[in-house]
Amino acid sequence: MSNEAVISAQRVTKRFGTQVVFEDVSLDVHKKEVVAIIGPSGAGKSTFIRCVNQLHPFNGGTLEVLGHTLTGGGPPPSREVLQDIRTRVGMVFQTFNLFPHLSVVNNIILAPREVKKIPRPRAVEQAMELLAMVGLEHKAEMFPRRLSGGEQQRVAICRALAMDPEIMLFDEPTSMLDPELVGEVLAAIRRLARQGMTMLLVTHEMQFAKEVADTVVIMADHHIVEQGRAAEVLDAPATERAQVFLRRILKPAEVDEVGEVAPARLRGRL
Amino acid sequence: MQAMFSAWVQYLPQLLKGVGVTLELTGLSLVVAVVFGFILALARLSRIRGLDLLATWYVEIIRAIPVLILLFMAYYSLGQVGIALSGMTAAVVSLGGFYATQYGEIFRGAILSIDRGQTEAAAALGLPSSVTMRRVILPQAFFAILPPATNQLSNLIKDTSLVFTISLADLMYQTYAALSINFLPMDMLLLAGVIYFIFYLVIAKFLGRWELNVQRSRY
Amino acid sequence: MHIPILNIPLLYSGAIAQGAIKDLMVTIISTILSFILGTLGATARLYGPKLVKTVVYWYVEIIRGLPAILQLFIIYYGFTQWGIDFSPLTAALIWLVAYGTGYGVEIFRSGIIDVPQGQWEAASALGLSRTMTMFRIIVPQAYVAMLPPLTSFVVLQLKNTTLLYLVAYSDIMYQARLGTDATEQPGILYLMAALAYLIMSLAIGRLGYRLERRAAAYR
Ligand SMILES: Nc1ncnc2c1ncn2[C@@H]1O[C@H](COP(=O)(O)OP(=O)(O)O)[C@@H](O)[C@H]1O
Ligand SMILES: [Mg+2]
Repeated sequence: MSNEAVISAQRVTKRFGTQVVFEDVSLDVHKKEVVAIIGPSGAGKSTFIRCVNQLHPFNGGTLEVLGHTLTGGGPPPSREVLQDIRTRVGMVFQTFNLFPHLSVVNNIILAPREVKKIPRPRAVEQAMELLAMVGLEHKAEMFPRRLSGGEQQRVAICRALAMDPEIMLFDEPTSMLDPELVGEVLAAIRRLARQGMTMLLVTHEMQFAKEVADTVVIMADHHIVEQGRAAEVLDAPATERAQVFLRRILKPAEVDEVGEVAPARLRGRL
Repeated sequence: MQAMFSAWVQYLPQLLKGVGVTLELTGLSLVVAVVFGFILALARLSRIRGLDLLATWYVEIIRAIPVLILLFMAYYSLGQVGIALSGMTAAVVSLGGFYATQYGEIFRGAILSIDRGQTEAAAALGLPSSVTMRRVILPQAFFAILPPATNQLSNLIKDTSLVFTISLADLMYQTYAALSINFLPMDMLLLAGVIYFIFYLVIAKFLGRWELNVQRSRY
Repeated sequence: MHIPILNIPLLYSGAIAQGAIKDLMVTIISTILSFILGTLGATARLYGPKLVKTVVYWYVEIIRGLPAILQLFIIYYGFTQWGIDFSPLTAALIWLVAYGTGYGVEIFRSGIIDVPQGQWEAASALGLSRTMTMFRIIVPQAYVAMLPPLTSFVVLQLKNTTLLYLVAYSDIMYQARLGTDATEQPGILYLMAALAYLIMSLAIGRLGYRLERRAAAYR
């Protein structure tokens, strides 16, 4: 891991109307670093990573992304800045969001063709390589709805990678999947991590976070309650809030009192 | 019955002369309605304050006024303020202007029905909004548009009959001309009815079938 | 005779208002009658014997397939060929009810279809008869679901009354045309007519919206 921070959030605050989603979030992601955000649902994890690629504006603090400085509450970034951030930052959604009217290969080559003006044959060639990497080259001509959830998510990863991003954002990439399909998606992400991709990842898969992430961030009650090296945070959390959260996730018996259920635990994967 | 059929045979050519005008009017008005309707939909969806309000007001007001009055205003009233339109132009302006509100709302509804995840995914890939509209939103909206759009087309073709009131020689006008000569109003009106009904069936059933097939083969 | 344009609203607003009242009157009467006939028609179309179903189906298709003017003319002019001569008011009402019934059947039918099947099952589990279930359980729920299309239907019916001047029923359009003939000021007179319809349509829309809110409240 080098020292260069490619994402740097300083006291970032986000509100929807008067409702505070998160406050004073400060967090750095360095080149080739894998940062996992965990925390109860509703904590603002998705909203935070959506601020990074500016799917949402934010209200306070500053956010530096790949050399662009975004200021909360300030004027929206120019079209060029927005374009630059979005082409260099890839995103994978919880609900896949593949384009249902386009075949797998056309899903993947759409952005390279339209944004980077890459000629079709080359774009297709690159798409096939990506598909081969996740073991889906034989599904290239199929439409997304004919694929399983795990396959759709792997295609969505290829679609994001086709833009050659410098950073990848993942928003609970496996939480909509049936348990038996989770592994294949995690394998694809794991491989990316090994290749040195910079990643910011929201997940409920604790084991996976511990294994793949360099840094783990716990968000709860509109704040970052703890961040640090993955093993330390997960095995010996320092703060009360983090201890409660992790205990609740790891010990089934205590789940019912609050009713917050981590999908990963429900499937008995931990 | 015998008498009616011989009257039909005799007057069919005259009525068919009107069919040409009816179809021409339908085609031109449809083009205006679809193009202007699309602009209205985009204006209503745009975040440019003022533009969306303007479009909303246009839709709410024009929809509340009967097409016949719009036609009279285009044909008679505009002439009074120095904009003299020919009968054909007045008809296309009023029918197109009215049906633009119908098509506009159809387009708007279809665009809004597309899952937000689609626009977000497109934005995350760095696609400009024009590309997102053209390659992501519209192809998916198309299927939500087809059924109500053909429905409005059959309404449009029926409403072209209003131009008979400003003496454009459409099917209705030729029918009225024929019945004022031969005093066989029921025979003539039924003949016109058969012709209009054929158009209706072609649009509603034929296009409807085709739509169904398109939908079925969807992705 | 030259009349200054600004005097026209003064001179003719009385006449236009009278026309508006006559339009509203036929709209209300025909809406009530079509509503009743539409309910019966929809019930017949859904649960009647095969032949009745077919007849209702084609009745609806014909009403939806033929231009409004043509339908009105068949009643007013067409029947004279068979020695039946309706007064303008009678012809107007017959047409509006015939037309409204066609649309009413469709509106009511989809209202009934939208009531979940579970309601039928629950009612029969309680030992209610089919007729009882239909009119005490299903129909009241269907009416609530029907409110939005019903509102647009009343507006449509109101707008249809513009055609009644063609059969010499003295409605808004009739007054506006009389005024235009006398003053040669179509601009202002058709504008007044448009305003009258605009106000009535928007008022009906508001009313429908209020009713929807009320109905939605206890759902
Ligand atoms: N578009 C929105 N408008 C208003 N509130 C929102 C919106 N999106 C999310 N929220 C709220 O923000 C909070 C955080 O949501 P989210 O970021 O999805 O949490 P997480 O991903 O941690 O489960 C929730 O309380 C949610 O209701
Ligand atoms: Mg989330």
